[in-house]
Amino acid sequence: MILLVLWALATVDAAFIGYREAAGRSALINKRAYYRNAMTRGALFGQIAVVIAGITITLLILLSSEPAKLVDELQAAGSRMLIVYVPYTLFIFLAVALRAVPSVDLQSIASVLIFGPFTFIRPIIVVAGVVWGFLAAPNLATLLLGVIILTLMLGLGRVIGKFRVNKIIS
Amino acid sequence: MRLLTIPRNGPEISDAIISFDPETLERKPVTKAEVIREFISLGNETAARIVEKIPERGGTLDPDTVDRLLITAHCELQRMSEEFQHGQRVAELLMPLLNALRSSGIEKPIRIVDIGCGTGFVVRWLVANGSLGKDVELIGADYNAALIREAKRLAEIERLPCSFVVANAFRLDHPAAIYISTGILHHFRGQGLIELFKQHNREETRAFVHFDFQPSPLAPLGSWLFHAVRMREPLSRHDGVLSAVRAHKSRDLLEAAKTAAPDFVSAIYGTRLWGLPIPRVFHTLVGIRPDYRKGFLEYMGNRIASLGLME
Repeated sequence: MILLVLWALATVDAAFIGYREAAGRSALINKRAYYRNAMTRGALFGQIAVVIAGITITLLILLSSEPAKLVDELQAAGSRMLIVYVPYTLFIFLAVALRAVPSVDLQSIASVLIFGPFTFIRPIIVVAGVVWGFLAAPNLATLLLGVIILTLMLGLGRVIGKFRVNKIIS
Repeated sequence: MRLLTIPRNGPEISDAIISFDPETLERKPVTKAEVIREFISLGNETAARIVEKIPERGGTLDPDTVDRLLITAHCELQRMSEEFQHGQRVAELLMPLLNALRSSGIEKPIRIVDIGCGTGFVVRWLVANGSLGKDVELIGADYNAALIREAKRLAEIERLPCSFVVANAFRLDHPAAIYISTGILHHFRGQGLIELFKQHNREETRAFVHFDFQPSPLAPLGSWLFHAVRMREPLSRHDGVLSAVRAHKSRDLLEAAKTAAPDFVSAIYGTRLWGLPIPRVFHTLVGIRPDYRKGFLEYMGNRIASLGLME
């Protein structure tokens, strides 16, 4: 269950990364399809990151002398990560809901109070979740996994950006 | 974070790296060293560093690079406008103005000209959303030919029936019934602002609506945060923060409008959110001929609560 929720959060986060990476690059007025594609692309790139994290977890468990203990530790770390990431995601969903209300002021408030500041603090939240999870089971395996997850979460936008620079995506 | 300490005085980078002859609108070369020197003399090292990175051609800033940079900056700016529903805001204020003019039997089409339209986001949005009516003609005017080319290109892609011209908005063959602008007022300082408003004093012009940043204690920090997370170009970030820092106060705009365009009744719209002591990002200077005042106020409906005293 914990893994499933983490996967869902990672997918949503990656979709938003795709959106942010595409935003401010098209000056057309009607951009629904453009943003839909960008979010889908982000979510798909996110799956690659999830697979990398999954392979790392599998290897760590296979190489562990106490695999059952490691699984318990990773679950403990994962559940603590959720304590940080779930509230953050709920605020983002609240902002998305506010954006659906047909009021320019409410939509702007959603941006001013949630989307803007929460985008700004996202790197801090990402690090906080991983550190908080690591502290549940501080050992080499969780440290290694934590570093890989951090790299993936913070680097995904840049990777998508590189694809754009190299004209692989438009 | 350095952007938070930008000196209030001095031009934005986008103003400094491009120059036009105000009469012929011909583009003039801009000497890179002079621009850098100017920013350094103003204590704006950040701007100097940004200009330093722009390629030069024989000592002058490369015009093609400058054009590309400004188009990119406008694209990023449009993203902010979209986020804050600026097109809808403009439409909501233009509708009561247009209805007031229509009910007085004004000649059709009613021409609206966007001053300093850049890549024409507002004009294109208004046309794309068809919110103003078919008796309205929308024109965007800007000195910058590259921005106008881009505006035309974008309008063509989406088949939007609007025009964009490289021109002084006040010197068009057919003057506007309504002049609008977004984010240009703070570029005009002192007498320059008075001269801008004086240009509204022509018989055909019935109203004007100018949107610009509203200064507040939190505006520089808020602007910095938003530009940090939303903009990629250092120029966009710098100019965005500087715009908020040196925005005109409502009373200064109103005073300048009343002094320079005394034949209009003017007011500031939308300074506070829902009447609470929460400042909006933008405030709006609205001016209209006294003949249309009553109709305009009637058509404003509930929005009248956000309108200052119109006199």
